[in-house]
Amino acid sequence: MGKKRLTIRRKESIYGYIFIMPFIVGFFAFTAGPLLFSLAGSFTDYNITSRMDFVGVENYQTLIVDDGLFRTSLWNTIYYVAFSVPLTTLGAIFISALLNQDVPGIRVFRTLYYLPAVLSGVGVYLLWMQLLEPGTGMVNLLLGWVGIDGPNWLYDPDWTKPSLILMKLWSVGGSMLLYLASMQGVSKSLYEAAEIDGASRWRQFVHITIPMITPVIFFDVVTSLIGGFQIFQEAYIMSGNGEGGPANSLLFYNLYMWNQAFENFDMGYAMAMSWILFVIVFVLTLINLKLAPRWVHYEGEEK
Amino acid sequence: MKKLRMPLLVLTSTTLMLSACAGFQTNNSSEEETNEEGKTVVDFWSFWGSELRRPVIDKIVADFNASQDEIEVKHTYSPWGDIWTKELAAIAAGNPPDVVINDINATAIRGKENQAMNLSEFMDDSFSEKFYPELWNATLYEGDSYGIPFNTDTRVLFYNTDAFEEAGLDPEDPPSTWAELEEYAAKLDVKNGDDYDRLGFYPLWGVGYDVWLLNANGENYFGEDNNVDNVNINTETNAEVLNWLKSWRDRIGEDVVNSYQAQIDSQQGNPFFSGDLAMLVQQPTFYTQISEYAEDLNFGVAPLPEYEPGNGHTSWGGGFVAEIPEGSSDPEAAWAFIEYLTGAEAQEYWAVQNFDNVANIEAAEAAAENDELSEEGQMVYQMAVESMENTLLTPAPVEAPGFYNYINPHVDEFFLGSMTAEEALAQAQADVEDLIQKNQ
Repeated sequence: MGKKRLTIRRKESIYGYIFIMPFIVGFFAFTAGPLLFSLAGSFTDYNITSRMDFVGVENYQTLIVDDGLFRTSLWNTIYYVAFSVPLTTLGAIFISALLNQDVPGIRVFRTLYYLPAVLSGVGVYLLWMQLLEPGTGMVNLLLGWVGIDGPNWLYDPDWTKPSLILMKLWSVGGSMLLYLASMQGVSKSLYEAAEIDGASRWRQFVHITIPMITPVIFFDVVTSLIGGFQIFQEAYIMSGNGEGGPANSLLFYNLYMWNQAFENFDMGYAMAMSWILFVIVFVLTLINLKLAPRWVHYEGEEK
Repeated sequence: MKKLRMPLLVLTSTTLMLSACAGFQTNNSSEEETNEEGKTVVDFWSFWGSELRRPVIDKIVADFNASQDEIEVKHTYSPWGDIWTKELAAIAAGNPPDVVINDINATAIRGKENQAMNLSEFMDDSFSEKFYPELWNATLYEGDSYGIPFNTDTRVLFYNTDAFEEAGLDPEDPPSTWAELEEYAAKLDVKNGDDYDRLGFYPLWGVGYDVWLLNANGENYFGEDNNVDNVNINTETNAEVLNWLKSWRDRIGEDVVNSYQAQIDSQQGNPFFSGDLAMLVQQPTFYTQISEYAEDLNFGVAPLPEYEPGNGHTSWGGGFVAEIPEGSSDPEAAWAFIEYLTGAEAQEYWAVQNFDNVANIEAAEAAAENDELSEEGQMVYQMAVESMENTLLTPAPVEAPGFYNYINPHVDEFFLGSMTAEEALAQAQADVEDLIQKNQ
């Protein structure tokens, strides 16, 4: 046995495992324990300091049957994800397509559009709160110049979520970079061949660029979907008092969960919430992975 | 195969061992912590890290350390957003700090959940008399105190005396009822087309609708003893108050309200400083902003007007307590520090240096006469001390944690016009009753 040589395939898979080792080690050392603990805790009335009694599925039952705020928060989150993911994806593709042109000063434009992605966190939220100020903010001022009477943005429950989506659109620079890199990698010969065949720029874009960047689109959709469900800070900061107002329109799932855990010390309940969210995101990601082969094109893939 | 397996195994086990070392490097909480000089170390956490507050609290800590040679207090600053979740994690891990500054309104809940220690054993019966009774009562759970009040606040009416004179009003006679408030505001208004050159007053700047409800009722939603057996949200008075508040918005106009609000939010652009707003409800500490941004402003300060004559100038406040987390390594030493921290000397120093309301009555009254304050400062502080007599807190009953999360959204709907006051209050009442039932 000792002298038996490894096949290339085996060797490759072992190297693969070595490469993902840091994650596996980190996962088992730091994440797996808390994960299982929160699963167990979700069946208790755990309050962090003094109480942890088994209550069966009571937490889940209350959440699904009785808790109006749970439904509100889930609805708010789904609304946000349903609009922000497609819009930011389209926005990023659109901008990177523009920035993929050969015009003078393109580097300056690329830098400008990427800049918002460099800024992050609370500073940006405060900045946007000023921009979206109904009476004095820049956004409504600009809209006023073209004769539009701007909405009340963060003060009107119908406009709060669109406000956040607008803010997200402004910072698509991060994913734009991925698209741009992948567009630059598309072989010039494909375009040349298409041009000889008389394909218009638009058809080239639809039939060459888009298919060639589908792996990046797929990656972007999956990660921003997961990220979208985790929205928290924006609501915590931008709803003024951190309660998700006005009229609960910014009460996102994680904000409500945080309130239950750290304001009301109902940690068991919050853990149950986190598992429901986990299941939702997990199922959506599985669907994504299942659908992927139908539209994602990998170059050099073995069919 | 073997060749590869060994290094992998070594790698994995080393990583796990290293992570385990970090994970279990906690102190045994029952052991007293002492420093090299043999003094007991008291770990003290606060969120006072600003340029203004940090030196003051550090000086108090240094004074305490110098005043005796048994205990050494170590002050750690932790930002506002982190401190209490960090504390909670530390309590759960069995290695908490010894003294933490925490929100007074949740003290009873923290006592119930065994996060904070029962402090009754450390004090005699007269200890509670040092503090405002309303503050003291907020720290009690089943009759025992779980945190000692440190600082507090209240809401008072600031008014521009020059504007009063211009409008023919007596600056010595500020409005004392809601009716007078409306009358004065109308006289102080200076209209310019749809806009205002000067606005008299708007009730929802500086405070929320709930302060006006509290003022009208003279008690919070759960009655004087904060008992959840009767929930008084859906009442005629409350509906009337909400409609009254909304009438201001309707009269002044949405746009004016929003644009003034934006200026108020920007702090130094506050229209009260420029004289564009004649009256404003604020905390007494607002005086520090006036003296910084509008030194020359002539202003007066009055108690919150009362709903009807004789109804009482009820105001609203909050505050912070010093508590000993459950599992502290040396509660005796921690208590010694808390006693100093909430004692008259430290409290007066804090009050004067920070221009902040303190919980210790003797210290608050002394601060109002302290020569380090300017004449105006003394006037505002004196009003703050007087207002404390009528100031109520609204701690969440243990059966209704976060109850305002169930009221605010409906009241928002009312102000946005999608519900009547009665509908909003009826729904809020039903939601809060549900919450109480869930927690009983």
